[in-house]
Amino acid sequence: MNHGHDLNRRDFLKISSLFLAGSAAISSQVGQALSSTNTAYAKDDREKVVHSFCEHCFWRCGIAAHVRNGKIYKITGSEHHPLSNGKLCPRGTGGIGQIYDPDRLAHPLIRERKGGTSNLRKASWDEAITYTAEKLYQIKEKYGPESIAMLHHGYGYTFFKEMFKAFGVNKFAKPSYDFCCGPRLQGYTMTYGHGSGTPEGIDIMNSKYLLFFGTHYGENMHNTAVQEISEGIRRGLKIVVFDPRFSTLAGKAEKWLPIKPGTDIAMMQALMNVLISEDLYDKKFVTENTVGFDELWAEVQQMTPEKAASITDIPADEIREIARTFASYAPAAAVHPGRRTQWYADGTQRVRAIAILNALTGNYKMPGGVVKYEKYKLPKPEAHPHPHFKKEVWSKYPFFVQTKPENSITSHEVVQQTLEEEIKAWFVYGVNVPETITLGRKTAIEAMQKLDFMVAVDTLPMEVTGYADIVLPECTYLERYDDLDGGRPYRTPFVALRQPVVEPMFDSKPGNEIARMMAEKLDLHGVFEDSVETYLDKRLKKVGSSLEEVEKTGVLVGEPTNLYRKPDEKLSFKTPSGKIELASAQLKSAGFDAVPKYIKHPDPPQGYYRILTGRKPMLTFGRTANNRFLNELPTARENEIWVNPRIAKKHALSHGEYVHLKNQAGIVSEFPIKVKVTERIREDSVYMVHGYGHYYKKLKWAYRKGASHNQLISKADIDQSIGAVGFQNNFVTFIKEA
Amino acid sequence: MADKKNYGMVIDTRVCVACSACVYACKSENSIPEGYCRDWVVQETNGTYPRLSMENRSERCQHCAKAPCVIYCPTGASHYSEDGTVQINRSRCTGCKACLAACPYDARYVHPEGFADKCSLCKHRLDKGLETACVSVCPTTSLNLVDLNNHEEEALNMMNGKEVYQQKEHAGTNPSLYWISARNKPGA
Amino acid sequence: MTETTTEIISTKMNPNVVPHLHIWEWHIPIYLFLGGLAGGLLIITAVMIVAKRYFGIGPQDEGEGCPCLAVRLGSALSPILLGIGMLFLFLDLANKFYVWAFYTTIQPTSPMSAGSWILIAFFPMAVLQAMLVNKQFLRKLNIGIVNKLISWTEDHLTLVALLNAHIGIGIGIYTGILLSFFYARPLWSSSILGMLFLVSGISSAAALMLLFAPKHEKPIYSKIDANALWIEMIIVGLFVLGGITGPANTSGAMMHLIAGDHQLAGMSYMLWFWGGFVALGLIVPMFLEFLETVGVHIKYPQVAPVLVLMGGLILRFLIVFAGQTYHTFM
Ligand SMILES: Nc1nc2c(c(=O)[nH]1)N[C@H]1C(S)=C(S)[C@@H](COP(=O)(O)OP(=O)(O)OC[C@H]3O[C@@H](n4cnc5c(=O)[nH]c(N)nc54)[C@H](O)[C@@H]3O)O[C@H]1N2
Ligand SMILES: Nc1nc2c(c(=O)[nH]1)N[C@H]1C(S)=C(S)[C@@H](COP(=O)(O)OP(=O)(O)OC[C@H]3O[C@@H](n4cnc5c(=O)[nH]c(N)nc54)[C@H](O)[C@@H]3O)O[C@H]1N2
Ligand code: SF4
Ligand code: SF4
Ligand code: SF4
Ligand code: SF4
Ligand code: SF4
Ligand SMILES: [Mo]
Repeated sequence: MNHGHDLNRRDFLKISSLFLAGSAAISSQVGQALSSTNTAYAKDDREKVVHSFCEHCFWRCGIAAHVRNGKIYKITGSEHHPLSNGKLCPRGTGGIGQIYDPDRLAHPLIRERKGGTSNLRKASWDEAITYTAEKLYQIKEKYGPESIAMLHHGYGYTFFKEMFKAFGVNKFAKPSYDFCCGPRLQGYTMTYGHGSGTPEGIDIMNSKYLLFFGTHYGENMHNTAVQEISEGIRRGLKIVVFDPRFSTLAGKAEKWLPIKPGTDIAMMQALMNVLISEDLYDKKFVTENTVGFDELWAEVQQMTPEKAASITDIPADEIREIARTFASYAPAAAVHPGRRTQWYADGTQRVRAIAILNALTGNYKMPGGVVKYEKYKLPKPEAHPHPHFKKEVWSKYPFFVQTKPENSITSHEVVQQTLEEEIKAWFVYGVNVPETITLGRKTAIEAMQKLDFMVAVDTLPMEVTGYADIVLPECTYLERYDDLDGGRPYRTPFVALRQPVVEPMFDSKPGNEIARMMAEKLDLHGVFEDSVETYLDKRLKKVGSSLEEVEKTGVLVGEPTNLYRKPDEKLSFKTPSGKIELASAQLKSAGFDAVPKYIKHPDPPQGYYRILTGRKPMLTFGRTANNRFLNELPTARENEIWVNPRIAKKHALSHGEYVHLKNQAGIVSEFPIKVKVTERIREDSVYMVHGYGHYYKKLKWAYRKGASHNQLISKADIDQSIGAVGFQNNFVTFIKEA
Repeated sequence: MADKKNYGMVIDTRVCVACSACVYACKSENSIPEGYCRDWVVQETNGTYPRLSMENRSERCQHCAKAPCVIYCPTGASHYSEDGTVQINRSRCTGCKACLAACPYDARYVHPEGFADKCSLCKHRLDKGLETACVSVCPTTSLNLVDLNNHEEEALNMMNGKEVYQQKEHAGTNPSLYWISARNKPGA
Repeated sequence: MTETTTEIISTKMNPNVVPHLHIWEWHIPIYLFLGGLAGGLLIITAVMIVAKRYFGIGPQDEGEGCPCLAVRLGSALSPILLGIGMLFLFLDLANKFYVWAFYTTIQPTSPMSAGSWILIAFFPMAVLQAMLVNKQFLRKLNIGIVNKLISWTEDHLTLVALLNAHIGIGIGIYTGILLSFFYARPLWSSSILGMLFLVSGISSAAALMLLFAPKHEKPIYSKIDANALWIEMIIVGLFVLGGITGPANTSGAMMHLIAGDHQLAGMSYMLWFWGGFVALGLIVPMFLEFLETVGVHIKYPQVAPVLVLMGGLILRFLIVFAGQTYHTFM
């Protein structure tokens, strides 16, 4: 296996003449980056190290990129950045596989329709930007600014957002709100008045006892959290994991409880039931700092451990024991809120139940409990004038987040409004729509085909680019400046800089430059400073630093914040009542449950299994799918379908065999997937990692490796309070290869 | 305290999550050819549903004090270095593969350029006073570089009171890698 | 005890190391076979020379002090075959330019180093013997140095022959010892392997000599072969027994060989071992040779020796491959 060289030469040249810069340049780049003939210890005085931050997931750790002979040859964790502490998750080391990916987008592309077929042809930047500006202008004139939506994920979006605001467009959607952290943000905020944050506000390393529902750290490889958990374990942290699957974290746990999927709220209610009925909760804290205790008790009273046992498949004794142990370690004990908290339509309530469980222990701002990190005091950039928006928020959901300007609508509403022809144009920045918008692949594609105009800004020929009218090749995070990472609360507040390590390759450009070019074409003035460097320098000067200074270490680190409350400190919360809301009056008045209720989710049909999903430590779904460096390991090359041995036997499946999957609506996976027969999963569920089964042939490495999770999603459950989309009520069965 | 170094590792499997960051770090640090690795990660699960246990560990050459690869190398290419590591002199290696057959840990491979290769414990970094690439990347601090000649200070502290093992100890190789078992109770 | 399963996931991916060792392919079994054959030839020819000289045992001389044809050919073939074998050994080296490194050091603990030196020691003596037994032909060329060497050997023939018998034994055993020192490979890690390869080398050498010996010389090689074969049978038996009664490592490895379904050229180890080696390579030819010695002549006298040679080759292939496909010492 030698991926660097297994490119089909003819194919490669054929495509390169259409889509890529000089083929010679590319092949030598790839050759050198991915092959091994250069010896490790060759001395080179021109070696330099550039500090920046990672873009392989949304944690954004500090990195140090090491350059030799003009090439990045390794990426290590930044010693200066508080989220890395010199260490990295595997994906962080994998930037070399992204920057030197031979399949990268090298030129702007424009769709050309000839006869019945259409084709993406190479274009100059000027042509592509002019065309884009014209089309956006026409559409805005004809249908109004609300007919244009921007979908974005990834840290380079800010410049485009500014450009669009100046243009009068403010329909912004970020898929991670719908599918992952929306419920956590809103559920937490409704309870505590603030979100849990990234990194989550749990004092993991000082905790003695942590409960995890699904959250699969170790596979979910968020660097700092994993560092803290390991430090916790060394200090004596005991872990309890509720997961239908024996995850890596479950492997570290004192107790693994293979809970029936979809029954978490019943379990949480039962834990509350024991805490309250056995008088194990922190009465003083609850009396002083919460509202709605009686309502809560009225609801959870019925959920005895016995009842919960029959719902969750976890014995009542276990439930009691966990609740008691949890209480005995409180306040140095907590329930972790998780990250991808939207599984069914009840994500917000599930997160609320987690927040309430925490509140009952009185662990708020206590060592080892729930904490509230602080931000580095970096002033927001001055808002430049923009036309009046018809609405600040476009989402129809009553509890849609109102405080995040990057989000004014949910992603699935963008899809729905497109199907209803309200939205006519999409500007997609770093979202691989067909594999991400989880109303199912089919619905996402239908929407894209309805559009009058679609632009995709990406680094790779991902599926989404195959549907776009204009494809704009952004350079990777290692080749550009982005806005400062300064708004995030953490134990040690910080401001981090993304800066170019090497020049952009091919004819790709940084987002800030693309946005500037578009602003110019659209006659929008004063949106951007003369250069991105000036902009960054001005921002940094406001906190007494400068671009020059921060370029050295890539980060400004503030004083560690005091996380813990003083013995008699008065607490206040930014909720309507000013207290922690065990029962939420605002939810109630809008017609939702004031206290989280368990609602039964459908069971799989006979012969079908609930399809669970998660992460692999070395990959970030689409983002790394074509990364040859990261995909090299035998455990990374494809995804597998995890099947319990009893179920495998029932369907005559053997370990290592390839099967197709068919979902409850008859959708059959396009590609076969390898069966992993394992004791590590319940009999009513199967599991597969999301991010495989790419169907765009231009992804030469990722094409046809494993099967797509998103393709098998055809049922979505929408949380009517905040508008998040759950997709775990999908079920599959196996089709054996003929 | 001995001046002479005797490097080894204490590997804490209680915290390792089998993420493979150590493998990628090694690959880029040491320009390991595609399809090859000097270190690798093992995830071992035992038991039947729902009573399961797991150990994750990052494995590599054990830098044996009595190394069969050195013993059987016909040319002296494989040798003990004065810092307690086992090294390969590429300009004496014939690629006869005796060392591969001799290693009870299957820690070696033949580099496409013809010589035998394996974990060098990042000797080029040790010589500069740096930790190995895999140790420095490891997000869980499962990997710990230790000087076994200063045993009581670093390594012993780390291993004290815990269940610790060596791999294939009965092979008589006297490996320099010590493993803190995942069976240890938290905080042991 | 409840039933438990173990699931192991590993990211290891080194070619020829995972899924199992595959560092030595056909070169090495062929080298081991030719080495064994060369050793066997040297032993038989040396013993025959001494036996004839001192005890008058053996086929008729060709006159002028030259032994019978088979001994003459055998003596010459011995260093030639070893040379070819070493060529295969060389071909197997991944870093051929560094072959000199073998001969700039002596590594007393390395059987390969010892072997590389034994190989060097082998040639002068074997070549002297080969020259002497073919002096009839060489004298005609009338080359000064050759004549001198032949004369010297003539004077020291007994010494040379006895030395050669020992060197032959050394080479024969060495081909087995080379593997058996690798205790990381449980199948190889058996001290009987040296004896097995030695005796197999002798039986193969006898078979080879039997093939090209003229009719009147054949019976003696038939006899040698039949005897070597039954000794080999016993040693194989001991090897297998020692294996299966050994500790888990060893018995697992032995079962992998004698009952394994791992494929070699499309046939399982088990079939190769019992069918290819034991039945066709040992029992059948032994039976045929036995018939021959009691005077029952079969139509195709080449069948038995060819089977023996094939058996010897199969044995080397099997041991080299099965030793690698079984996991390391646990
Ligand atoms: N390496 C790596 N790390 C990543 C990412 C990545 O792509 N790669 N992506 C990042 C992103 S964007 C996100 S959102 C996070 C996601 O990471 P997490 O927030 O940890 O993801 P979850 O979906 O909570 O967890 C998935 C686990 O939940 C279990 N599970 C499924 N259904 C249920 C249920 O009903 N009840 C319970 N109790 N458990 C259940 C599954 O078996 C699986 O083990 O990971 C982040 N970290
Ligand atoms: N079926 C299913 N769907 C899911 C999930 C799931 O588990 N299963 N998980 C959900 C979750 S939690 C999340 S967070 C989302 C994630 O959804 P996305 O963020 O859409 O995930 P990716 O597939 O990584 O797509 C990112 C796109 O950004 C591009 N990209 C990478 N780097 C850059 C860059 O520097 N600049 C630009 N312009 N583009 C770049 C990549 O090439 C890729 O096309 O997916 C959600 N959707
Ligand atoms: S957790 Fe890993 S992928 Fe995510 S930002 Fe940090 S190093 Fe990068
Ligand atoms: S980097 Fe650390 S945690 Fe990850 S696999 Fe290696 S040793 Fe384990
Ligand atoms: S582990 Fe193997 S390669 Fe490393 S020193 Fe020991 S025998 Fe040699
Ligand atoms: S391959 Fe090289 S290092 Fe290994 S035994 Fe042979 S000469 Fe020594
Ligand atoms: S010590 Fe160095 S060479 Fe050895 S595995 Fe770690 S990174 Fe690789
Ligand atoms: Mo996410």
